[in-house]
Amino acid sequence: MASVQFSNLAKSYGDTPIVKEINLDIDHGEFIVLLGPSGCGKSTTLRMLAGLESISGGDIYIGEELVNDLHPIERNIAMVFQSYALYPHMTVEQNIGFSLENLKVEKAERIKLVTNVAEMLELTPLLDRKPKDLSGGQRQRVAMGRAMVRSPEVFLFDEPLSNLDAKLRGQMRKEIKAMHKKVQTTVIYVTHDQVEAMTLADRIVILNEGKIEQIGTPKQIFDQPKNTFVAKFIGAPAMNIFNLSNPKIQHDFGVSMGEHNPVLLGIRPQYLYLNENEVKGVEKAAFVDVEVISSELLGASRHIKCKYQDQTLVVETASHDATVKGIVRLYFNNTQIHLFDENNNTITH
Amino acid sequence: MKISIKKDQLVAYVIVALGGVIMLAPFYFMFVFSSHSNSGILSIPPPILFGDFLVENFNTLIDFLPYFWHNISLSLFVAVVVTILNLLFCSLAGYAFAMFDFKGKNFLFVGIMATMLLPPFLGMIPTAMIMSQIGWMNDPKALIIPAACGAMGIFMMRQFIASAIPKELVEAARMDGCKEFKIYYRIIVPLITPAFGTLGLITFIGTWNNFMGPLVVMNDMKMFTVPLALRALQGTGQVPWGAVAVGAAIAVLPLIFLFMMASRRLIDGLTAGAVKG
Ligand SMILES: Nc1ncnc2c1ncn2[C@@H]1O[C@H](COP(=O)(O)OP(=O)(O)OP(=O)(O)O)[C@@H](O)[C@H]1O
Ligand SMILES: [Mg+2]
Repeated sequence: MASVQFSNLAKSYGDTPIVKEINLDIDHGEFIVLLGPSGCGKSTTLRMLAGLESISGGDIYIGEELVNDLHPIERNIAMVFQSYALYPHMTVEQNIGFSLENLKVEKAERIKLVTNVAEMLELTPLLDRKPKDLSGGQRQRVAMGRAMVRSPEVFLFDEPLSNLDAKLRGQMRKEIKAMHKKVQTTVIYVTHDQVEAMTLADRIVILNEGKIEQIGTPKQIFDQPKNTFVAKFIGAPAMNIFNLSNPKIQHDFGVSMGEHNPVLLGIRPQYLYLNENEVKGVEKAAFVDVEVISSELLGASRHIKCKYQDQTLVVETASHDATVKGIVRLYFNNTQIHLFDENNNTITH
Repeated sequence: MKISIKKDQLVAYVIVALGGVIMLAPFYFMFVFSSHSNSGILSIPPPILFGDFLVENFNTLIDFLPYFWHNISLSLFVAVVVTILNLLFCSLAGYAFAMFDFKGKNFLFVGIMATMLLPPFLGMIPTAMIMSQIGWMNDPKALIIPAACGAMGIFMMRQFIASAIPKELVEAARMDGCKEFKIYYRIIVPLITPAFGTLGLITFIGTWNNFMGPLVVMNDMKMFTVPLALRALQGTGQVPWGAVAVGAAIAVLPLIFLFMMASRRLIDGLTAGAVKG
């Protein structure tokens, strides 16, 4: 177990900066998820920590130790790759035990450790198989076993579930969570799947174009996004954002254009309701009148697309609200709106 | 159960069979001639069945080439050592070019590839001069060291490693605490055996059949390789064709043996790459 610290971490390929000034403190045993759009530098950050990529600036500490120039072996980190990267010519047992072999762990001890891990991940009956004879989920578990067997200081996962189907993903998510509970090791987990991030993370780090946009618990990230990027990136469907230059919108949402001078307003589709009594936490719900354009059924919920003052707006409701047409009234709690200034940053009120 | 062969399939079989016969004919006649006297071989039409002159032909061969068995073992020794060295050095270089980033990598690679542009004959005289300078004339080293690694082999290995081994595998091994050279022999080598088979075969045959190389550095009859020795046989006034055929027949035996050993594995290797696990 160890803490991890990035201080002004940077990476560029040639003249192109990829990761810019990352500052992040990760505690012992914390489960951190790096979340961001494709190409924002998540893998690069993780690989710099692992020692697979040189760093162009800043420092990385594991525990108290500066590891900038240490070989991956010396960092005592284990990594689960997106492609699993199992050794195709070795059996499951040899795959899991390979790091122990390299550490010159005695054979009897090695077998004991591998057996324990296999037991924990339900791989015991598969120990003699080669990776090509395993299913995707089993390969994934072998990759995790290989990482767990030598009790590393830090676990790194780079999109470990993206090659699995939706059902298996859900199951593996639970197993990873359970594994973290059991071994209590620091985990840094890269994904671009919000659901994974929300369900697994103690804290989420939102990255965009090589910079940190926000660090916070899943709840903080969802309820108090720091800027429009985070607001729009987290949550599906994305948050509705309106331009406040229209006085009618200012009036409908009760925005006073006072000292902060808000430019944009946001409200989540989940916080707009068709019935007044669904609005919680206020005496009198505010409302807007909108025109329904279309509606889309997604199993248990329904997304209704509406036109509001020449802008589109999406509402998420329960699936039985099927008959909405024409002009409807949407109710909301005025404290659940977000205001942003001209730099797209949230105005705290 | 009746096996039905379609008509166009039949045509294809006939063409393949014909091609096979045409390619095998010289081998067949080589073995046949090795059992006939000179006059028998030169008669018209030539013999097509085995005769009874094999032992005499073999004795003639040994008369003309008293070191024949030494020539064979020298050839074998050189071919085996050159093959092993090529597999080692070409795979190491190919691994480095495929998996590592280092300064001047592309420049170095282009330089190595450029050596393939030079015709091998261009190097003959300089090689002979160098070898005589350092006193390696009539020494197997003169055949082994210059041939220990080649651009073609490096290229082949680089291509194979780059296509068959994902970079993440090497990185995973590195994270698993595997030292660089151990990554080579524990991860890379087991996964490139098909390429080893192909390169090994090509190198062995090329070295075994090499004529020009030994010609310029070997002038002691005892140190001749098989192609040189057989060539020496033809330099004598009346060419003993039967003896030449015996020598040639003995010379191809290792290659035939090698092919029988390797063909199965080569085919396995080629198809194993196709369905990746
Ligand atoms: N070796 C390299 N040379 C040049 N640019 C690179 C190199 N490796 C990565 N990049 C660039 O760095 C950026 C970040 O890559 P990275 O792999 O970290 O993204 P990511 O956030 O992991 O994306 P994804 O979610 O698609 O995996 C990308 O724009 C990529 O093109
Ligand atoms: Mg990535």
